[in-house]
Amino acid sequence: MTRLAAQLSLSLVAIIVGIMLVGQLRSQAPAIELSSLTAQELSDLISTLGSANTQLNNELTAVRQQVDRIQRRAVEGESDLMPAREDVIRFSAFGGLTAVEGQGIVLDIEGLFTPADVTDVIHELRSGGAEAIAIDGVRITASSVPVLGIEIDGVRIGNPFRLTAIGSPDGLTSALQRPGGILQLLEQSIEATYSLESREQMTIPATERDLTPQVAQPVE
Amino acid sequence: MTPRLPARARPLFRPQWAVSIALALAAIGFLGTAQWNSSLTRGEFISSAQGVLVNRAEQLRAEQSRLLDELEGAETQLQALQELALGSEAELDRENERLRAARVAAGAQEMGGPGVVIEIADSLRSVPVGESRNDYIVLVSDLRDIVTALWASGAEAIAISGSLTEGAPSARLVSTTPIVGAGAAILVNGVPLSPPYRIQAIGPDGLHDRFLTHPAFIGRVERRIDAFDLQFASQAVDEVIVPGFVGNTRMQWGAPVREEDR
Repeated sequence: MTRLAAQLSLSLVAIIVGIMLVGQLRSQAPAIELSSLTAQELSDLISTLGSANTQLNNELTAVRQQVDRIQRRAVEGESDLMPAREDVIRFSAFGGLTAVEGQGIVLDIEGLFTPADVTDVIHELRSGGAEAIAIDGVRITASSVPVLGIEIDGVRIGNPFRLTAIGSPDGLTSALQRPGGILQLLEQSIEATYSLESREQMTIPATERDLTPQVAQPVE
Repeated sequence: MTPRLPARARPLFRPQWAVSIALALAAIGFLGTAQWNSSLTRGEFISSAQGVLVNRAEQLRAEQSRLLDELEGAETQLQALQELALGSEAELDRENERLRAARVAAGAQEMGGPGVVIEIADSLRSVPVGESRNDYIVLVSDLRDIVTALWASGAEAIAISGSLTEGAPSARLVSTTPIVGAGAAILVNGVPLSPPYRIQAIGPDGLHDRFLTHPAFIGRVERRIDAFDLQFASQAVDEVIVPGFVGNTRMQWGAPVREEDR
C-alpha cells in the first residue's frame, strides 16, 4: 500500500514537472517577436490583421451559406449546377479573366518612375482593399509586374499613366494619401505630380493574357 | 520502548527514491521560479500600453489562424459538393472543368511542378556604429523585388512563408495580395511573417537562371545581399507544391461584368 502511495506521488510529481515544462516553453516565443515592434508598428499590424480577419469572416460565412444551399437542394433532389456557375464567374473576376465594374478611384500620375515605384503604388492599393486594378487599361493580375521600360504584360505604359482601381473610394484614397504614404513619398523623391478622384461607376477590363499555366499542374 | 519494524517490512522511502524525489523537487522549484519570474515580467509588460497592443495582436493572429483553417475546410467541403452536384454527367463535367480553370487562374487551386525555392533572412553581422539597422534586415522592397523578378522570369504560381507562420500554410500570391511592412514583420495577404522568408515558385525550365539575372533582382536585392550580408540561398527544384489561396475572393465594391451585359 505504502509502495503504491509512493509510486502515485512520484507519478504526480512527474506530471506536474511535465505541465510546468510545457507551460514554460509555451510562454516564450511569440511575445518576443511581437514585443520587438514599436507601438505604431503594432497599431498598424492590429489594424491590418483586424480588416483581414473581417474579410476572412465574410468569406467563411459566404462559403458556409453556399454549402448549406447545395446540401438543402440535394435533399430536395433539385439539379444544382448554379453554385458552380456562380463560382466560375467569381473566380474569373477575381483572377482577372473577366471585366469588373463598380466604385473606385482614378489616379493620373506623372514623374520619373522606376518599375519599383509603380509596384509600390500597386501594393499600396491592394493594401487599401483594391478588388481590381488596371494601369493604362492593362488589368493587373497576380503575375502582372512593371518591368524596365516601363512595361506591364508587354504593354508600355505612358507618362503620365492612369491607374484605376475598384474598391472603397475612401479606403483607397486614405491608403494612397496617408502621411508618409506612397504619394507623398513619390512627390518628395521624384517630384511626381498627380490628380486623384473618386468614381461612382467605372469598368476595369479583363486581362488579355492567357492565364493557363504551362508547367504547373493542379494537385489532386 | 522503541517499536521495531517487522522483519519483512520495508521503509517507506529507500535512499535512491529519496534522491529521485529530491531531484524532482529541485526541478519543480527551478521551473516554478522560472514560471513565476516570466509571469512577473509578463505582468509588468502587459500593464504597459505596448503590452496591451502585443496581446491584441496575438489574439488577432490566433483568430486569423483559426479563420484560415476553418475557411480552408469549408472551401474543401464546397468543392467536394460541387463536384457531386446533380445534373447531367456531361453538363457537370463541363461546369467542373470551367470551375477548375477559373480556380487555377485565380490562384485558388493548389499547384505542383518544377520551380525554385528561395530563402532570405536578416544579416547575422552586428550593425556597425553609425549605420542603420534597417540596412541589415530583409525589407518589404526585397520581397517585392524577388517576387517581381520571379513573375517576370516566367513563374506561374508563387507562395511565401515565414518563421512566424510555422505550421500554417504559405501565403499564395494572387491578384489582391499586398506585400506590406509593419516594423520587423512583413505582411503578405494580411498574415504577419518574419524572417527567414521562404519563397516557392513554379515555372518552366531556366526559371532559376532567369531569376538570378533579372534586373529586378540584381538591381537592388542582390546589391543589398552583398553589401550587408543578408542571408540568401536559392535553388532550382524538380517539384514544388504551392498551396491554393485561402481568403476573400468576393467583391464588395465591384461586380463581374456578365457577358450578356457587354
